[in-house]
Amino acid sequence: MPSAVDIQNLVKVFHPSFRGTPVRAVDNVSITIEAGEVYGLIGPNGSGKSTTMKALLGLVAPTSGSCRIFEADSLEVDSRQQVGFLPENPYFYKHLTGAETLAFYGKLCGLRGRPLVDRISELLDLVDLQAARDRRLGGYSKGMLQRIGLAQALIQEPRLVILDEPTAGVDPVGSRQIRDLIFALKERGITVFLCSHLLEQVQEVCDRVGIIYKGRMVKEGRLDEMLAIEEETEVLLRDATPELIERIRKLVEESGDSKFLGAGKSRTTLERLFLEETTNRDEP
Amino acid sequence: MSKALPNRPLNPRRIGVLAFNTFTQLVRMKVFYFLAIFAVIVIGSNSLNLPTNSAPENAGIQVLFAIKNTSIGCMGLFSLVLAVVATGLLLPKDVEDRTLYTILAKPVPRLDYLIGKLVGVTSLIFISLLAMDLLMVGVLQMRTNEVVEMRSQFADGAGYPPEMKARYINETLALGPTWNLQGGVLVVFFRAVVMASVALLLSTFSTSTLFTAVVGFMVLFVGFFQADARDFYFSGTGALGRIGSGAMTVVLPDLQLFNVVDSIIEGKVLEAASLLKIAGVTLFYCVIYTFTSWIIFARKEF
Repeated sequence: MPSAVDIQNLVKVFHPSFRGTPVRAVDNVSITIEAGEVYGLIGPNGSGKSTTMKALLGLVAPTSGSCRIFEADSLEVDSRQQVGFLPENPYFYKHLTGAETLAFYGKLCGLRGRPLVDRISELLDLVDLQAARDRRLGGYSKGMLQRIGLAQALIQEPRLVILDEPTAGVDPVGSRQIRDLIFALKERGITVFLCSHLLEQVQEVCDRVGIIYKGRMVKEGRLDEMLAIEEETEVLLRDATPELIERIRKLVEESGDSKFLGAGKSRTTLERLFLEETTNRDEP
Repeated sequence: MSKALPNRPLNPRRIGVLAFNTFTQLVRMKVFYFLAIFAVIVIGSNSLNLPTNSAPENAGIQVLFAIKNTSIGCMGLFSLVLAVVATGLLLPKDVEDRTLYTILAKPVPRLDYLIGKLVGVTSLIFISLLAMDLLMVGVLQMRTNEVVEMRSQFADGAGYPPEMKARYINETLALGPTWNLQGGVLVVFFRAVVMASVALLLSTFSTSTLFTAVVGFMVLFVGFFQADARDFYFSGTGALGRIGSGAMTVVLPDLQLFNVVDSIIEGKVLEAASLLKIAGVTLFYCVIYTFTSWIIFARKEF
């Protein structure tokens, strides 16, 4: 099976006007994403994440190197038949309603008639915007715009979805919805190429991660392997008494080879706490 | 998996989708409000009772000229402003709003995108001109009937023989809504198409709508005098002059040809050959400018 994304030795140099110093935005980056994977590209602002994505979409031409999507050169229009893209902070045509927006992008991909109508309805259900289908996008909230953006990215049933900062500016509830949608895509076998600097989000959804810094790929690999601290082991207990903890500590010290590093209450995340307190509540 | 389209450029269905979206976008920007202003102007020009120094047998003629002058003038102004400003606005706006990213991330050849925008704007201009034309024809027909009635009474009172009266009435009818006048409206449309193509070209490398609009109107201004300038600078300069003259004609549109509208208002007949020539020139400029736009736009990075 061909790789969903195959970026080889990508270099992108921008030449500013009026003889400014050339900027090497992406420097010899190679990424391979297998079909069905969720890949996260992380890095600080200006590190070359968006330029890499744009090169993959043919929006910028590589200075050198190559980008391929399911073996098709990404500079060829045909390669985009397989791709859905959600840009950072997307602004769609405000004069269109949610349903009209999806119809517009669907028609651009060659869909029409009953299949298009059914697909629009299915996607509006998926992104939970059925109630707002006839409202113009000018009246959508930021989270709703991101979700309709994700729906348009999926309109032609692409095999690869590229998401550039999909939760930028979205509140935690909206952010959770988008994350759930990424999980849903993964279950359907759709490859996701995610670009974000929200590390917790990337950690939660991605199979593999690449860290890009000043245009160069500094680390890449499977997330579980990258995050594991080889010489430490975590043990989780429920309803453990202080006496039991003390016995475990002594047992570890008696073994001689290991060291007891600490014990304490497990903590929830602030996000989880926020969601528990703000969702599915009738009253404050 | 959806059925794959042949993603070759110049797909009529895809161009139609983009054109319809552009048309809807402009309509929802309330461009048609101009039609209400136009209606007021045309109806106002109809109610004019212009003082005349001409003989009594020519009474009422000036108002017919005034209606045609005002209407065609407004049509020209509206179509040119819309052609330059709307075309110049749409592309930078799509880039600024990043809407372009989502469109070009779909299997949409850049040539189709450009043509879709151009067809959308020109369709809007065409429909606007059609609406204005209908209003002008209605008002002009009413006023022509009044003038014919008035002149018929005058001819009867002056004792004109039947043939002379018929000729006299036919002269009046020729100043009303004729197919010749419709040809004039078509020429107004063709001129707007040329200017929309110019604005499209400008917007592929300009970074602001203001720049496109200012340069677009400068090109329009120069276009009206281009033929005179060409004669002045290149006449009698040999082969090199002919090349220079040809290059100037291609780079800047020669809009003098479109000035036939003024003589049509005066009642002169627009020959079919002239109309065909204007249509040909329009097509020539449209293809040249759209092709150049594509060459620039295809290499553009976002």
